[in-house]
Amino acid sequence: MVKIFIDDKELEVSNGLTILRAAEGAGIPIPHFCYHPAFAPEGSCRMCLVEISGLPKLELACSTVVREGMKILTASEKVIEARKAVLEFLLAEHPLDCPICDKAGECKLQDYFEEYGFFASRFKEAKEKREKKVQISKNLILDRERCILCTRCLRFLSEITKTQDVGVLNRGIHSEIAVYESNFIDNHYAGNLAELCPVGAITDTDFRFKTRAWFLVKKESICPMCSRGCNIFIDSHPGFARTPLAQRVYRIRARENQDINSFWICDFGRYHYSYIDQGRQERIVLKKEAKDTELSWEKALIILAEKVKSLVYLKKKSRIGVILNTWLTNEELYLADKVFKKGLGLENIYVVDPPSEKGDDFLLTEERTPNRRGLKEVGLPDLTPDLGKLALQTDLLLIFGTFLVGRFSVTELKSAFDKIGTKFLFAAHKSALDSLVDVVIPTPLIAEKGGSLTNVNGKVQSFSPALDNSLGLPEWKLLIDLAKELKINHKPFWQLSSPQAILEEMGRGIPFFK
Amino acid sequence: MSPEYSELLRQRIAEVIARYPKKEAALLPVLHLVQRETGSISPEEEKFIAGILDLKPIKVREVVTFYTMILRQPLGKYHVQVCSNLSCTLLGAGTIIDYLKEKLGIEIGQTTPDKKFSLSTVECLGACEQAPCLMVNFDYYGNLDKERIDRILASLT
Repeated sequence: MVKIFIDDKELEVSNGLTILRAAEGAGIPIPHFCYHPAFAPEGSCRMCLVEISGLPKLELACSTVVREGMKILTASEKVIEARKAVLEFLLAEHPLDCPICDKAGECKLQDYFEEYGFFASRFKEAKEKREKKVQISKNLILDRERCILCTRCLRFLSEITKTQDVGVLNRGIHSEIAVYESNFIDNHYAGNLAELCPVGAITDTDFRFKTRAWFLVKKESICPMCSRGCNIFIDSHPGFARTPLAQRVYRIRARENQDINSFWICDFGRYHYSYIDQGRQERIVLKKEAKDTELSWEKALIILAEKVKSLVYLKKKSRIGVILNTWLTNEELYLADKVFKKGLGLENIYVVDPPSEKGDDFLLTEERTPNRRGLKEVGLPDLTPDLGKLALQTDLLLIFGTFLVGRFSVTELKSAFDKIGTKFLFAAHKSALDSLVDVVIPTPLIAEKGGSLTNVNGKVQSFSPALDNSLGLPEWKLLIDLAKELKINHKPFWQLSSPQAILEEMGRGIPFFK
Repeated sequence: MSPEYSELLRQRIAEVIARYPKKEAALLPVLHLVQRETGSISPEEEKFIAGILDLKPIKVREVVTFYTMILRQPLGKYHVQVCSNLSCTLLGAGTIIDYLKEKLGIEIGQTTPDKKFSLSTVECLGACEQAPCLMVNFDYYGNLDKERIDRILASLT
């Protein structure tokens, strides 16, 4: 530990820390472009210059290591002057096309200019004309006029993905970021570059010109696309008063979590958000001979409970089947275990998930579902149903999720389902199953409900709704209602009113969730 | 290794690589060796060098485009490099450059159609005592005026 002073604030910081990190730790921001905590310091942008007593010149906060008794000034007149000068040089070649730039509103250059000046440029010379639309990967566009050559993209591709797809060509004023001929950046972490770029030089075709950053509501969530459980931000547009939008989610961004995903997410998780807004179930529907009737949850619950009760009363509970999936949260799987397995004593409980796909050696896992580990820890069996057998032994089938469609053909499903008396479907999306079942009950997605997920390494992560959900009741709520209606296990369950309360209750019963 | 490069070049490259703790460090000397044989570093040469040094071609191109003496296009037989730095300019390098452009019928950075002359300007050749000066390939010519340029160009066949 060494003692240092930053702006007269006395700090005890660990040896080997850079000034920038020490200052950030103490809540003193030091402006920077090229520095990024995930990479070794580069020192190319010169924005983080600070004054150190006893040294004749300003030093780089990002690469200067603290020493005992160091007195650092981060906001002296000299430092402010230096920052203005750096900005003036950067802006000398910057096109200032903020009004059409997708980064506007979250651009460091824009923020610092507002903070340090609003000065007029003294450069009278015309700015260099450069290419403004260079495709560098399937989804990324490079604007060489906006680029400030911080080389964050280059360092990401050489230090994190180790693919070295881009380089800085030429020299001096002609320097430019480039890919080799037409070799696009070809790895499925490239989407991080648009986020990493401190200015609007790298933009994402997925987001380009779609909306403005300041309209978006940024909420924390967990990525459900694989079992890694990467932390994300879901950026959604609330819509305008007179023009509601068809789409709520405009962007998924990585959220820092050093235990899981560091600062990154894969492109699979980043770009597959359209499922949140497309093809959603909207109403509880009772299907009866080609005529659909809309039901309230209370009515649907009574129908469901009556079916269950009658089969249990006739000692036919082996003829009730339940198909779960691991897009359900820990809490929901726990309740499913309590209600179906422990409460009703059902045996035919199956799990149908999206099929596994190839993962990679970084973040993306083979399991394309967020909570398989949770299923194991809750203690539910991971059984895949045999459709033929299921059809013969089942009178009432409760299906959670639509993943059956990915596992079996519609003809197979139809011939099996025709033999089953009553089928309830709890699903977020419309699918081929809709026409094969008797009651469809819409459910929210992970982005719209609260709860917790257990990632592939057994880390339990809680999350809150990132989007409002007017489409359906979360499964945990449905399961509690069902337990109440069936009068199962009345003591602990009936008062549970939130995923947090359920998780606490789980912790008492299962040490893993403590 | 591609067969179009000589056995001698391959041998020299191996010697150069052996001199450094990391293969990457041999990039500049290898570029010079290859350029000496091929006259310039085209994309084929970039890929060839990247292959030997276990680098991505973009890394080789970064270096190729950074250094002016690594050529991306082959030059003419005679490379005329005129100093345009302070001493030479004060003593009339501007006129010399204009005269050469007119006489050779090309602009700076270009090569004559018969591939005989290439013209470029360079910063200080380190021969200010004989300013204005120029270099033709590896030979210096100083104290230039129009007549001397006529004579120099005439002597180059």
